[in-house]
Parts: sequence; structure tokens; C-alpha cells
Amino acid sequence: MPSASTNETNPAGRGDEKLFLVIVLALAAIAGLGSWFAADALKRHDDLREIQPDKPRRLENFSLTDSAGREVTRADFDGKFLAVSFLFTSCSLTCPEVTKRMAEIQNLTATNDDVRLLSLTVDPRTDTPPVLAKWGTRFSADTNRWRLLTGDKAQLHWLIGTSFLATETNNPFNSMPGNFAGTERIAVVDQHGNVRTFFDGLRVETPAAVVAEIEKLRKEK
Amino acid sequence: MKTLILLCGLLLTVPGCKPAVSTPPAAAATNQTFSVRGIIQQLSPDHRHVTIKHEKIPGYMAAMTMDFSVRDTNALAGFAPGDEITFALVVTGDDDWIENLQRTGKTGGVSGPPGWRAVEPELSVGDPLPDYEFTSENGRPVNFSDFHGRAVAFTFFFTSCPLPEYCPRMNRNFAEARNVLLADPNAPANWQLLSISFDSAFDQPLILASYAGIYRGTNADRWLFAVASTNTLASLAPKVDLNFWRESGSISHNLRTVVLDGNGKIFRQFDGNDWTPEQLADAIRAAAKTNAP
Repeated sequence: MPSASTNETNPAGRGDEKLFLVIVLALAAIAGLGSWFAADALKRHDDLREIQPDKPRRLENFSLTDSAGREVTRADFDGKFLAVSFLFTSCSLTCPEVTKRMAEIQNLTATNDDVRLLSLTVDPRTDTPPVLAKWGTRFSADTNRWRLLTGDKAQLHWLIGTSFLATETNNPFNSMPGNFAGTERIAVVDQHGNVRTFFDGLRVETPAAVVAEIEKLRKEK
Repeated sequence: MKTLILLCGLLLTVPGCKPAVSTPPAAAATNQTFSVRGIIQQLSPDHRHVTIKHEKIPGYMAAMTMDFSVRDTNALAGFAPGDEITFALVVTGDDDWIENLQRTGKTGGVSGPPGWRAVEPELSVGDPLPDYEFTSENGRPVNFSDFHGRAVAFTFFFTSCPLPEYCPRMNRNFAEARNVLLADPNAPANWQLLSISFDSAFDQPLILASYAGIYRGTNADRWLFAVASTNTLASLAPKVDLNFWRESGSISHNLRTVVLDGNGKIFRQFDGNDWTPEQLADAIRAAAKTNAP
């Protein structure tokens, strides 16, 4: 932007005013884009770190249904490390990206029997078991290790709000249904059911970071 | 579709392509002035535009958040987001602007009321749906209650919705259901279709009217396009399990289509896009039999 405003004060031939304006605008656009890319790269670098839960949170008891129609409860994950994500299948931008990260985590932990994956929908009336099954197929989910859960909406929202995410009270357009903050994050739960860390599910580095976090937690004992 | 979006974008950049164009023909020759109350949300750096969350403008527009322009850039000097103001909205045949801004107070912030969506319970078939007000494609307020005694089928969309199996599918199904009913000599006449946009920032009445033409042709019989304010959606959406999220400049949303009977009670709900125009027409026929007492 500064380059554009300096150019603007330079004298220019009157007949070329229009051409000049076009060039100035183009320069402004290029400068703007450049700084935008730079800022974005910087931001991405800064954000490469774990996010702590806003308060101590634990995986609470629940009873929900997976994409194969099976009942799933808290007890199914006793003693396991978990990677947890949040979605609704009508979500066309963020949710597919985060689900790709989950698929990578699934592949990276394929030989670790103490690791499970969990995805919770916020829109269960739409996301019935068959709809979640289709979503799982799209991302090559091994639904024995990676459980996509639906069920009673109140229970799902309670579970997400109690065990994982704070809720926001801002404009309802700005957050995923349920007004949860940070729905693009992937949560790591330790083998005792404590929610330990979140990672940005939109970042390509996150699957490796999640695996490293689980390896670190495994040594804790 | 892309051409339409581009056209809409161009139209928006032209002053006067806001609701002013859709004022009644009687008002076209003279200036109309409306006294309005609102809260400043945002000021453009050049002080030519201001985003105001305004109250209902009786006889002209529902309460909504929208951009206004000023003719005198000094008019916005000293104002800041959060200021409660009164102002005059001047509407001519081909332009509109605001003037005489007066600060009446200051809000704590520009955010909406707390507890936006979770507070409203989901309704079931047989439950009465409260009345809601929208801004119609002709720039005037429209309410569910305007259609009392008629079966009302409504669905949600936004004009720049890019996914063919989402919003366009809903409006195509509405078009076909309307054809079915209009062509059937035995069908009831007391019904109404309403396509409601999520996007009060972009889907101004003129945009809605132009978009409606794609699906409706020149015959507007019993099918109205309208836009819901964020406040309206915050209350209506949870009642019909409508979910939406503005992400990366677009709006992700699920699909909810509802048929109300003549008394405004929920008669049938169609989730997703896996339903046919014939099913909708059948539901409207049945719902229309439940007349107002």
C-alpha cells in the first residue's frame, strides 16, 4: 500500500491519467496481496503451537450412536488416547479440511491400538448414521477405530460444551451451530480421559503434532 | 449463475441499487424521508458509508443491519461503532442516503443479545410457529401472519450459494411444486411459497427480485422471495432446526423446508434435499385444508 500512495503523488501526463490510475490500482492490489500473503504466512507460523483447554475438561459419560448404528459410550474409550473433532456434514469448507487431518491421524496411528478417533456432529437431525457413514467413506474412515457419532442433539451439544469447547455469545453466524468456540480444533484426550491439548485442525502440520503429543503423553505414566 | 453473482456485485457498487429502487411507483417522483433509530456497527475509512443495525422503518423496511451512504462525508465525523443514533433516511426515485445523524447514547458493544440460538427449543409437527417478519423482494416487510388462512411452504437459501444440490435445488423444487399446483384444477388456491435468504448483508431486495426471476419467470403468483435479519434467524432457526455458519465468506447451512397450515401450525417438515416437488405439493394440498377458524 505505501508504494501505491507514493506513486499517486508523482506527476503524470494528463492524457495518461486513466492509464496511470489503472497502474496505481494494480500496484495497490499487488502490494496488498503481497503483505496479505506475508501476514498470513507469519500468522500460520505463530499459530503452530498447542492450545490449552480454557479450563480443566474431562471426557464425560455419554451414550451416542455411530455411523454403523452401534451404541457407543464413554466406556468404549477407557484407557485409550483420543483425537476428537467436531463437524456437521452440510459444512462445506472447514469440516472437510479438519476431517482430512483426522484421516491423516488415523493413518499415522494405524498400528497404535491405544489410539482412537472420535468425530461429533452438531447437527444430528441431518447427520443420521447413514449420512455419517457416507461422510466416513469419503475420508476413508476405518469406522472401528474412528467413530463418527450422532444421537440426541441436546446430549451432543452438552457433551461438546462440557468436555471440550467453550460457547460464544456473539452473532450466530460466526460460529458453528451450538455457538461453540474453536470447532476447527482437534482435541487430544489422554488415557485417563483428561482433555489435554487442542491443535488447529486447518493446519497441515497438525496430524504430526497430534501424534507427537500422544507419544509424549504415553511416556507420562 | 456466475454471471448473476457478478451482475449482483456490480449492481451493489452502483449507488441507488438498494431498496430505494423498489419503492412504490407513487413515491418515485418525490423524496421520501424516514426517521430511523439504530446502532452504528462500522464506519468505512473514507466516511462515505456506515453500517447501521437499525430498527423497523414503518412502511418501508424491516429491522436489519445494512450499509447506508452519506452525501456529506463530514456527517460521520465524531461517530464510532456502538453509538446509538437517530437519522433521516432520504429516498428518491433513484438514490438513497442518510443525513441529520444525532447521537442518543452508547451501547456497551456492538454484539447481539446473549444466548443466541440454544435458548429456543425445536418445534414439532402440530406446534404453532411464532410470527416472524422478513424483508421481501419489493423492499417491504412481510410476515408469516400475512398469509393467515393459507398453507405456507418456506425454505432457506442465499443467492450466492454455490452448491447446486443446496439452494438452487430447493428453489427448483419450489418451482416445480408451484407448477404442479397451478396446473391442477382440483388443487386448493389458498397456499403460498416463501423462499427466505440467510444473507441480509448481500441479498438486498433488488438482488432477490432478480434471483427470483430465474426460478419464477415473469409469473410471481403465490411465490415470494424475502430475506431474514440476523435477529430473526437467531430466533427462528433453532425452532425449525436450521443450522448455518458464515465461514470463509460463504454460508454453510443445512436444508430445512417447512409447511405451515392455515393456522400457522407446523404441518410437515422436509429435511435435506431428498424430497420431491410432488411430495411438497401433496403436503401443501393437505395443509391448505386446515383453514383458519
